[in-house]
Amino acid sequence: MRIVVLVKPVPDTASGGERLRPDDWRLDRAATTAVVNANDEYALEAALKLTEAHGGEVVLLTMAGAAAPETMRKALAMGATSGVLVSDDALGGSDMVSTTRVLAGALGAMEYDLAFAGADTSDSGGGIVPAGVAALLGLPYLSYAAKIEPDPEARTVRVNRITPTGYDVLEAPMPALVVATQALGEPRYPSLKGIMAARSKALETKALADVSVAGGDGPVGGAASTTAVLGAEAPPPRGATRVIREPADEAARQVVAFLAERRII
Amino acid sequence: MPYRLTEDQAALRDAVRILADEQIAPRAAEIDRTAEFPWDVKDLLASHDVLSLPFPEQYGGLGGDLLTVCLAVEQISRVCATSGLILAVQELASLPLLLFGTEEQKQRWFPDLAAGRHLIAFALTEAEAGSDVAAARTRARRDDATGDWIIDGSKRFISQGSVADLVVVFAATAESDDTPRHQRLSCFVVEKDTPGFGVERIEHKMGIRGSPTAELSFSGVRVPDAHRVGEIGQGFEIAMRTLDRSRPGIAAQAVGIAQGALEVASAYARDRTQFGKPIAEFQMIGAMLADMDAQTEAARQLLYKACTEIEAGAADAGRWSAMCKLVAGDTAMRVTTDAVQVLGGYGYIDEFPVERMMRDAKITQLYEGTQQIQRLVIARALAAPR
Amino acid sequence: MAGAGAIWVHGELTGDGDLANISAEVATLARTLGEAAGRDVVGIVVGADPEGAAGELARYVPRVLAITEPATADHAAGTIVGQRIAALVERDGPAVLLTGAGPEGRDLAGVVSALTGWGVLVNAVAVTWDDGPVVTMSVFGGKLTTTSRLTGDHGIVTVRPNVVTAEPAAAPGAVEAIEAPGEMTLPQVPIVDRLEAAGVAAPIEEARVIVAGGRGVGGPDGFKVVEELAAELGGAVGATRAAVDSGWIPYAQQIGQTGKIVKPALYLALGISGAIQHKVGMQTAETIVAVNRDPDAPIADFADVVVIGDLFEVAPAITAALRARKAG
Repeated sequence: MRIVVLVKPVPDTASGGERLRPDDWRLDRAATTAVVNANDEYALEAALKLTEAHGGEVVLLTMAGAAAPETMRKALAMGATSGVLVSDDALGGSDMVSTTRVLAGALGAMEYDLAFAGADTSDSGGGIVPAGVAALLGLPYLSYAAKIEPDPEARTVRVNRITPTGYDVLEAPMPALVVATQALGEPRYPSLKGIMAARSKALETKALADVSVAGGDGPVGGAASTTAVLGAEAPPPRGATRVIREPADEAARQVVAFLAERRII
Repeated sequence: MPYRLTEDQAALRDAVRILADEQIAPRAAEIDRTAEFPWDVKDLLASHDVLSLPFPEQYGGLGGDLLTVCLAVEQISRVCATSGLILAVQELASLPLLLFGTEEQKQRWFPDLAAGRHLIAFALTEAEAGSDVAAARTRARRDDATGDWIIDGSKRFISQGSVADLVVVFAATAESDDTPRHQRLSCFVVEKDTPGFGVERIEHKMGIRGSPTAELSFSGVRVPDAHRVGEIGQGFEIAMRTLDRSRPGIAAQAVGIAQGALEVASAYARDRTQFGKPIAEFQMIGAMLADMDAQTEAARQLLYKACTEIEAGAADAGRWSAMCKLVAGDTAMRVTTDAVQVLGGYGYIDEFPVERMMRDAKITQLYEGTQQIQRLVIARALAAPR
Repeated sequence: MAGAGAIWVHGELTGDGDLANISAEVATLARTLGEAAGRDVVGIVVGADPEGAAGELARYVPRVLAITEPATADHAAGTIVGQRIAALVERDGPAVLLTGAGPEGRDLAGVVSALTGWGVLVNAVAVTWDDGPVVTMSVFGGKLTTTSRLTGDHGIVTVRPNVVTAEPAAAPGAVEAIEAPGEMTLPQVPIVDRLEAAGVAAPIEEARVIVAGGRGVGGPDGFKVVEELAAELGGAVGATRAAVDSGWIPYAQQIGQTGKIVKPALYLALGISGAIQHKVGMQTAETIVAVNRDPDAPIADFADVVVIGDLFEVAPAITAALRARKAG
């Protein structure tokens, strides 16, 4: 089974160094180290578990800037077989429409039984790109998966989609696009073997010109953005924290009084 | 040399760090207190492929270069010097085979070593031959009928000598007293169950107490010629070339110990308040911590550079090797001593790990060549005619 | 026909065919914007049996288009609804389509955007109007808020829950049953089974009060004190990633970077350190109260009130104090 996993390098939130560039309000991707978007790690882990069980390989697909190979090596160290990176100066500052069209174009040129994507990205992603990619490629779209069960012989896949009351069990023929969630299970730490092996795994880079962009002939990339940031500012501070160090009953009394004062109860 | 670690070196360092913090650190105090070899940590390192780092891929290793191995030793030593030594010794003792062994020898012994199923020790030092390596008195006589060698003698201060499955032994094979000193020795591999091989004592040490330091005795130990490593009379050269490559491993242990001590001291200074504020804000403490940090970093960068030069086959590899071990060992001693000082009375008791780290640091100034020997190596390089 | 430049709002359906709470909120927002901007406001509901939800949506906006689409009864809805709405917005050309930023709204927005080429402004925490929607978004775990707009004449905006309070209009609007133009070509994914998961009622993003437990809760049994306090406050139970990954509580209740982003009136954090990955999920709550044994926990920096103590003593004490207050 061949599973393509869409991964995105995003700023490492834990570093606290994320910034927008003051001249064009674009995310300053050089300001912090990039990590694989957390939700994409869950998607990758699910893909690795499935190929371990059913045989096959996992291929990464990324649209990102020049520093991306480093982040993709980490994903390769987890166990992916190879990767495809679409990288081009023109794509800097791409909005979701461009990203969707380019990823769909790149994915359309690949062979796969399943394509996985993470639920959304921590760098202010709206969680809408995977649905768009599926729509542009005419792929069955199964989102918010808590469980993914492929049947390689029958060439179908079953997914438990999370709903407010439980799960809808969806079924579709392959190839299909599945949006993975954290419910699928914790991603593995890369082993030393994986880290050392990642050095020699294939990472193919494509420029924009090498991709047959989906969704028509219109331009893509930062220059063609359908949205524009007007400005950014720090939100108003929350105010001082009140610290209560009293014994439980007295602390409880003060908390209840506070909640009443704030009209919450 | 790229002035930053590559992404996989950084990833590997981070992976080993996590392993060390989560699974080895909780055991460190107990290992020191009981002075028992931590088989569980050895198994952990084996199962995570850490012990396979020094070995080439075709024998089941990960083919890590010298810097990669040192990164791992450093991270483990940060939390437990004894545990860091397990990897450092595995590398040290395998170097004679890596550098001078035949294909048959590597195929025979490397797979088990790479898998961490077997441990290997390096038996060079003797009671009367420490710094003066060439004075070794352990003898290996040839049995002309079979071509076997019979080894008699004793080795002292052999790290992990009592837990090793294989011991690399340097013995005198010179036929006559006229043989030049540096051609007297040859190198052999002895498997532990060979009759005549025994462990006479385990030392009670100041530090790295979980690492058994053994006296090994050889009484008519018979090994086939196939167990000889390198040429007859090449033993001294093998030992020196091995140490040139293995000293960075000890430097890595030293840098790790220093870093561990710095981290404990810094955290303590942030939390401990006296006279109304954290002691880290007092200049005398701040100055000590700053010096500890700068010196540890300097030792680290010299180590990384030395690894890169040695790996690249630099002609002055010996100088790099001696320098990084000299600086790192002295740094570890200084930093750990200052760490105890920062903690004051608490630094002297075993409630905090810095007293152990200070005891552990001392050995890095002694083994794999004393600091004085390192200075000799460097001075000779400077004094040699151009 | 709906005026060009109108403001459209998508009415999302729950599993039972009712209007989702988030759509009532977004519809209120749509109406407010329409009044301020002098634009028509139109709701759109697509479902197997849309009248009930359409009627409910009409309480908030003057006009609702209802499309009957039997396939949504037993197929994944997003692709189907998306195609129908895409065809309509292309025909009628509204200025903006507003949807919720939950899973249904996102799936829908993704499909409509791909089929129309319209841009999307996501995760709005505020929307104003200046010849088009101007959207405020919270980024970098709340460190920054950005203001953005569309560069073209048409686009989509997804709106977070709890950003607007749902408020019906003075008089209800009218529902119009229509046929959607065109054919649907995208594959439809059948729902072959429905499974119930115990313990999750409404989506946690919609809760006004959330009581959440973290690593400090120690295990699934520990969550009892969390649940009791939540019940007493009429709130939902939330959790951190640590608690979910340890298997103490289902993922649906996880709050944070890889879970849900919530904006309740009260977020009560028990045994939660407040690390950044969790903080991004809840820091825009109006009021944050934390109980933690560690005075240096990051949450102490941004909570409104922090009680330094053992949550197993403090939480039951708060529950008891609330009960006493109700009784007395």
